[in-house]
Formats: sequence, structure tokens, C-alpha cells
Amino acid sequence: MPIDVTVVHKIASLARLKIEPKDEERYARELDAILGYVAQLQELDVTNIEPTSQVTEGAPPPLRTDEVCAFGEREEALGQAPDRDGDYFTVPQVV
Amino acid sequence: MSADGILASAEAIAADVASGKRSAVEVVTSFLAQADRTADTLRTYLHRMPEAALETAAAIDRRRAAKESLGPLAGVPIAIKDNICVRGVPTTCGSRILERYCPPYDAHVIERLRAADAVIVGKTNCDEFAMGSSTENSAYAVTRNPWDPERVPGGSSGGSAATVAACEAPLSLGSDTGGSVRQPAAFCGVYGLKPTYGAVSRYGLVAFASSLDQIGPFARTARDTALVQSAICGRDARDMTSRAEATPIDLNDLERPVAGLTIGVPRAILDEAGDALAPSIRAALTSAASAFERAGATLIDVALPHARYAIATYYLIAPAEASSNLARYDGVRYGVRRGDGDLRAMYEATRGAGFGREVTRRILLGTYALSAGYYDAFYLRAQKVRTLIRQDFLEALGRCDAILMPVTPTPAFPIGEKADDPLAMYLSDIFSIPASLAGVPGLSFPATFDATGLPIGLQLVGRPFDERTILRVARAYEREHDAASRVPPLAAAGGGAP
Amino acid sequence: MTKSGAAGNAARDRYEAVIGLEVHAQLKTKTKIFCACSTSFGASANTQVCPLCLGLPGVLPVLNGRAVEFAVMTGLAVGATIHPRSVFARKNYFYPDLPKGYQISQYDRPLCEGGGVAIRTAEGPKVIGLVRIHLEEDAGKSLHPEGREGVSTTRVDLNRAGVPLIEIVSEPELRTGEEAYQYLTKLKQILIYLDVCDGNMEEGSLRCDANVSVRPRGQAEFGTKTEIKNLNSFRYVEKAIAYEIDRQIALLESGGRVVQETLLWDSARGVAETMRSKEEAHDYRYFPEPDLLPLDLDAAWIERLRASLPELPDALRARLVRAHGIPDYDAEVLTETRALAAYYEETAARSGHPKLASNWIMTEVNAVRNKIGGSIETFPIRADRLGDLVGMVAAGRVSGKIGKQLFEKMLTDPEGPEALVQKHGLLPIDDDAALRALAREVLAANPGPTAEFRAGKEKTFAYLVGQAMKQSRGRAHPEKLQAALRAVLAEESS
Repeated sequence: MPIDVTVVHKIASLARLKIEPKDEERYARELDAILGYVAQLQELDVTNIEPTSQVTEGAPPPLRTDEVCAFGEREEALGQAPDRDGDYFTVPQVV
Repeated sequence: MSADGILASAEAIAADVASGKRSAVEVVTSFLAQADRTADTLRTYLHRMPEAALETAAAIDRRRAAKESLGPLAGVPIAIKDNICVRGVPTTCGSRILERYCPPYDAHVIERLRAADAVIVGKTNCDEFAMGSSTENSAYAVTRNPWDPERVPGGSSGGSAATVAACEAPLSLGSDTGGSVRQPAAFCGVYGLKPTYGAVSRYGLVAFASSLDQIGPFARTARDTALVQSAICGRDARDMTSRAEATPIDLNDLERPVAGLTIGVPRAILDEAGDALAPSIRAALTSAASAFERAGATLIDVALPHARYAIATYYLIAPAEASSNLARYDGVRYGVRRGDGDLRAMYEATRGAGFGREVTRRILLGTYALSAGYYDAFYLRAQKVRTLIRQDFLEALGRCDAILMPVTPTPAFPIGEKADDPLAMYLSDIFSIPASLAGVPGLSFPATFDATGLPIGLQLVGRPFDERTILRVARAYEREHDAASRVPPLAAAGGGAP
Repeated sequence: MTKSGAAGNAARDRYEAVIGLEVHAQLKTKTKIFCACSTSFGASANTQVCPLCLGLPGVLPVLNGRAVEFAVMTGLAVGATIHPRSVFARKNYFYPDLPKGYQISQYDRPLCEGGGVAIRTAEGPKVIGLVRIHLEEDAGKSLHPEGREGVSTTRVDLNRAGVPLIEIVSEPELRTGEEAYQYLTKLKQILIYLDVCDGNMEEGSLRCDANVSVRPRGQAEFGTKTEIKNLNSFRYVEKAIAYEIDRQIALLESGGRVVQETLLWDSARGVAETMRSKEEAHDYRYFPEPDLLPLDLDAAWIERLRASLPELPDALRARLVRAHGIPDYDAEVLTETRALAAYYEETAARSGHPKLASNWIMTEVNAVRNKIGGSIETFPIRADRLGDLVGMVAAGRVSGKIGKQLFEKMLTDPEGPEALVQKHGLLPIDDDAALRALAREVLAANPGPTAEFRAGKEKTFAYLVGQAMKQSRGRAHPEKLQAALRAVLAEESS
């Protein structure tokens, strides 16, 4: 399926990205070219091939023990917020 | 090589500092002076830390004076790619969206470097969120190649490669997702190691593609590369994908000859590349292979039949993971917020303005690849092909100790040449991406220079957690050739007298 | 909107409801599922946070082993299949209380599948099948500005972000709101027996969404379903489901069609209303979480966990019936919690009278608990003391009435019943001379009734016994008192 402006608009909305209308066309063209290239994967027969989502070799680590360890630099972390109301983060009202 | 100047190896510097021959402050001062001369031209750094570096150096000197034992990187300056968190120091990942962001914690590798008494001198420029092959995608600056300032240093860890090439620091850290350490190392004529996936904790590395990202060192000698790798590797409880199998490398191992080793060369890939592979690189590869054979190694041909699908596979998997990893940049808890109106408008304005074009493109691509109706055809299929690519490598590495192949199809290209053609840029990753997908270690080592004086790097790919063998092979080559002893004219210009 | 009860009884009989529940239970771990922050409830905003649960760049999830253990225990308790390998997945969506922009959950390879929960219905026992149980992380809390004058921002508290949850999904095998209520009650009981969840709905430790559809009886296909959210108590679940079943039937009967949608239950008004429609259809873009490895469980470990499971409500109930000979109804009441059952068993053993012990707990103890609230663990009377009391009553050492007086005193006085009897002079009067003296006193004080009795009005005797008992403050031994009265009456008339 070719990637057009409508598709770009839809996925940009899903990814919460504001894209200027003048750029949508260009992204559509670029994505279309890239997806055209990756379409070569369709030539391969992948029947009975397990997907790889991890390439970690070796022994897995033990799971974490359930012991509280409070983070010491809380204010340093919260202080990064662009807007706060006391100890709360704030965002524009959810419409 | 002089042990007194900025050309000294990290190993020699640490030994001098430990023995008191040179103070850490002297060492750091000399590298800071070199960076003062070249860093503005090369735009290697996004943030320099001279005061902090001198303080650390002074503390090391005091500890030496108090007869305390010092770490293996005592007093050695090291530059850090700007996608690795250093507490209280701006960590922007080359992105507007993280302008002014200062992490409240140190990455695991930073803790390890501090414990080894290395001296952090600054945060290096990179492609935004490590997405790119030229460092042109940084929101803040275009880094230049020390060998030819009109050319790119490679990417995404371009700043880290260039700063070591220009002798602004003897060491640096980068991150490699599809070649982002190896490719700039090759373009800048330095060593660059992408360790086995899981060999170095990713705790504190800002994620691009979690199943591919690895932190790796840049250095100007094979031994220095091993020294840094030894300092940062191993299991960390904060990264479930990190592994205890990654153990420090004994430098004596690197001095063992290559006689008796088997080195695989993937002839079919080289043939298939045709004219896309620069003759200078093809020649360098042939020459290196002969050198290894002369030194007693056995050369064999290895097949990596699915490597040709690596780029297509990578450009589905990496953007898919990235689209999710970058969802947290929403202007709520940190970073730069934009937009008026409702929540959705805030999200879209913040992200729309905060991300550059390449990042936006990859988020769109990844979102598409994961979305309903396309998952099986794109993402899942790519994961299956990844299995085949990985099997190819494990099979080949069952027959040889290391695979010798190019890092890049060409030497460093001119700034702007590929900036408007994303696909062409992606295609230049053809030799670095396969090892990333397979999760095996890859080392870019400086092999020679082309006729125009640009460095040529070659790649050695090893078995999982066997970084020592590929470093040993590179060290054998270094003993005979030492391509990294050449210094870019720009860096050497004032090297002796100001 | 259709009013509740709009569907007539006849119409209701023609339809069958199909209900499935999704329950989110917060696991009682000390720390969050992927970081070491505390999970304790009620801390002030954003105090139980760290780089991980704030979603800062560069941090990675590390799985809490205890959360896995609790989830597996739950699966084992309901007879589910525990998969030796399960996979965490990212569920991607944007919301201010979701710091990473994705929730780590399990998708196509959950930890547990199958199993069931046995409930009792009007038609008899029934097992409600389970689809799956999986592990996931909770989101934070968004505090919307509604009701805050002049405020147009939503505030976000991330203390809850990353608290471990299990999602328990039932098969669509429930048929009424009452069955849903029974199912939830039983599920909660099991979770509390396992001590993996505190079951507190007010604090959000247990949450429930209901999927409801109706179909004409005998039809195999399901009707169109709606999802009801915001169900903050089991009773609301029951009511909301009843309401929604009625609404759907009335809609179909009037020729309408059910629209697939999400409804919010408004408990104040007793209606379910359409949630403001989402701007776009959900596309969560699930994919395997690359920062976590597949969760591989050792079969021997699972078996050890199975062997260490506590006795579950159904087994315990059967055992109480068998061991103590009490009715099944009693056993059900007494197995409300493990602690109550233990309390009962100690009381029964100490008293030597299991049925009497059961009566005391079901009536006296539970009446007080209903009044003062609180669990049996904090009940002021120790089981051994209650056992002593029940034993004394059973042996006739004190009357039932005195027993109740003692019980009242024991609520505030930590001493045992025997000591309290001494302290308050509640010993029974069974000495013949004392009882005769009492009888004389009462007859003297009641000349009229005494004369009536003597005149042959036998009924007046009961009145005189009552007066004497009252005079003794209940302490007089009933039979001996009667004998003494008759003896004195006989004496005096001769």
C-alpha cells in the first residue's frame, strides 16, 4: 500500500507529532521509498522461523528481591518538570 | 610515541599518573588546551566540563599523594556521548526536546569510569537520539571530520570519534545501535568497539532501539580500547539484559600472535557490493587479509547469506522500538514543553517542535510498522529475518574465530552529501548493521589511508563475549602497521609549539 | 436513556445476559513491579518515585520476583495453567499518568491461562472459567480540575505508577449481576487467603470492569457488548450490570440496537453513561518488551509454590464441617477469612463445644464486628477467652444470660471470664438455703400474685419465677430456683 499524506497524518496523530502540512508530502514520499525498500523482506520464506526480539546470551539474572530502596534525589528529578503545582506535575486539562 | 604529550596512550598516561611521573592535573590541562584549540572548529562537544575535570584530576593527585591506590584509568580524560547520563550535567541527546535536561543520576558506565579514576571532560555531539550516520542530525551543531573538516565524522557518535582522532581526549564512549561507534571510528581513523549485546549495562544510556543499543569505547590503540572495555563491562543489576559473561580482558592476551587463528572473509557480500564498495576499502581489506595470513592465520570464506536483508530488517526493528522509547518525551516531567490549548495540542506541539526530521521520520516509520494490520507483515517478519541473520553469524563464527569485513562502503563523505536522501544514508550502514542484529561484537580498527589521506577502517566481528579475540587480531595488525599513530594535520598543527 | 427496570419481566425472561469481568488486583508487594520504590498507600504526591517510575531517559525495568510469585500463587489457587515462559509486552498510548508512554503488560503470552472460580448461585454451584491472569504495572493518578474553581490544569501524581497488578479475565460465563457479585466476593476471598492482595476497593487495590451483552435465550452467538467502568464496589458492579442488562433488553425490545461502547457507572444517580468518545480508535501497537527478558519459570519452583499454598476457602470450609460437625452454612460464615476460621477453631477446641462456639461467633462476635468494624485480628476478645466463656455456658456454670453479660464486659476488660465472674459477683446462686431466702423475699414482695397462686392460678408461678430471677440479676440456677419457690410456697401454706 503506498504511503500518502492521509496515512502520514494518521500515524503522526497516533504518535502525537504535529507535522506542518507542507512537510506531510515529503514524509509520505520518504516513507514510501523506505517501505518500498524493506518490502524485499517479503521474498524470504520465514515459515517456522521463530522471531528474535532479544539477542541476550548467557545466564539470566535473578529477579529483584522485594526490598524498598527510596530514591534520594527526588527534588533533583522533579525539578526537571516544565510545570508543577507543588509536588504535582501539571498538564493542560484533558479534554 | 611520546609519553608526555597528548599523543600518549591512556595506558601510558595512567601509568605515569600512578607513578607520579605526571600529575593528573597536568594531563588534563594538556588535553583541555588541545580541545580549546580544535573543539570549536570541529564542534566535537555539546558541553565541556573543564572545571569539573580539573577538580577530579586534583582529587586524584591528592589521593596519590596520600598513597592511596588509583584505578586503571587514573587521570585519563574521557569524553562521553551526549546520550549517556552524567548526573547534573546537560544530557540532550543532540535534541531540542531535552534542551537543559540534567539527569539526576549517573549511568552505570559513568560510575565504572569514576571508579577507575578516569576524568570526564565533556559531552560529545551526536545525531539526535543516536539516529544518523553523519552527526548532521544533531539539533545543535554539525561535527567535522578532523582529517577533512568538509567531511562528516560519521555518526551517530561523531563527536566521540572526532574528539579522540583530534587528540582532544585519548578516550571516549559512544553508543552503537546499527554501527554508530564502528562507522565514525572508521571515518576518523580510530578504534571503535561495539561490544556483544549485554556486555555493557545500558543503565543510563538513553534508549534508541533497546534490543540493539550497546555502549562502546573509542581509543587510539587496541590496548586502550580493551582497557576501557574492561572497566565498563559486566553484569549490572539495573539492566536485566546485561551479563556476567562479559569479563575484563587481560592485556597480555592481546599480545598473543594470530598464528593458529582462523579468520573468515564473507566474499559473497563483497562481490555483491560491487561498485558500491570503494576500491580503496576493497584493497585495504585484501591487504589486511594477506597480512593476517602471512602472520600465520588461516583464511576461510564464510557465507552470511541473509546479511543482504539486514538494512531492511534493521529499519523496521530499530524505528519500531524507537517509536515506543521516544514516547516518554511528552513535555510533562522534563524537557521543553510547547503549545497552548488542550493536552493533545501540548503533546503534538512539544513533540512536533522538539524532534528533528530524522527522528520524526523514524518515529513515523516505527509507529506504522507496529500499527494494527501491519505488525505481521513488517515488524514480526523483520524479527524472523533477524533470526536468520543471527544464525548466519553464529554458524560462520563456529567455523572461524573472527570475521574480517568492511565497516563502511566508502571513506568519510562530504557534509551535506546524503543529508536529503535518507535511504542513501541508510544504505551506507550495510556492513555495520548485520553484527548489530546478530548481537555479536564488532570492532572497527584503523587499517590505512586512502590516496586523499582519509582514514580507512576495517571491521572484525567476533563470537558473543569474545571481544578479546577481535582485539587481539587488531593488535597484531597494529604492531605491524599502526595507522592510528598518524595524527590529523589540524590536530597536530599546534601540537608542538603554539 | 432508558430507566432501570424498563424491561418488563416477560421481556427479561426471553433474554439471557452474558457477562465477563476484568479484575485488576494490586499485589501486596513492598516495592513496585519494576523499581524499588515503596507501594504504600496514601503517601503525599510524588514522594514514592525514582527515575524509573518517572520515566526518565535511560532507566530500565527490573522485575520484582515477589510480584511474579504472587501472580503464580493466584494462578495455582484457581487451577490455572502456569506457563513456563511468558512474555512482557509494551502497550503504547499517551496519557499524562503513563510516564513512559507505554504500559508494560503481558499480551499474547500471559503468565497464566485457564482455571476457574467456584461460586454458589440460586441454581446451585457453578464454576466461572478464567481466560487468563497476567502481570502488569499500574499507571499513576490524574487529578482532573472538575470542581476546582478557575483551574484548567490536570495534576499528576506518579506514586502509584509501577505498582504491580494482576489482571484476571473471566470467561463470559456470568449471567446475572448477583453472580458477578458472588464471583467477585469469592475471588477477593481467595486473594486475601493467599495474602497477595489486601482487597481494599476504596484504595483501589481491587478494580473491576464489566463486559455485558444480552441475547435471546437459546441463541448461541453473543450480542453486542458494552464495557462498564468506574465500578468502585461489588454492590455497584451488581447494580450496574443489572441496570445495563435491563437497558439492553429494553433497547432490543423497542427495535433498537446495542452500540459497542464504554460506559461509566454513576453510582450517585444509579445510571451508566457513555464515556466521552475517544478521538481515535485504540491502536496500542503491542510488541515484546525488549528491556525485559521472557519470564522463564522453573517447574520445580512452581511445584514448591504449589505445595506451600495455604488452605483455600472451599477446602477449609469442607474441613470445618468434617472436623467439627457444624452445618455448611456455619462453615461458610466462619471461613470469611483465614483469621476468622482460625479464631473459630481455637474457640471451638477450647470450649469443647464446636456448634455452640460457632453460634457465639456468628451472632455475638459478628454483631460487635459489624458495629465497630474491623477484622477478627483486632477483635478485643481473645479466642481462648471466648472458648472459656462458651465452655462455662455449656457446662451450666453460668446461664446464657450471664454469659452475654460476661461477653459485654470482656469487650473492654482483658481478664478472662472466670476472673470476671468473681470480680463482678456473677457467680450463680444454686445453694438451696440462699435460693429459699430469695424465694421468701420475692413472695413477701408480691403478696397479690402469691395469693392468686395459692388460690389455684398455676400460671402465676411463672411470674414469680421471673421476679425471683430478676431479683438475682439472672444468677439464680433456674431449676433449683423453681424447686426452692415451690418448697417455700408449700411451707407457707401449711
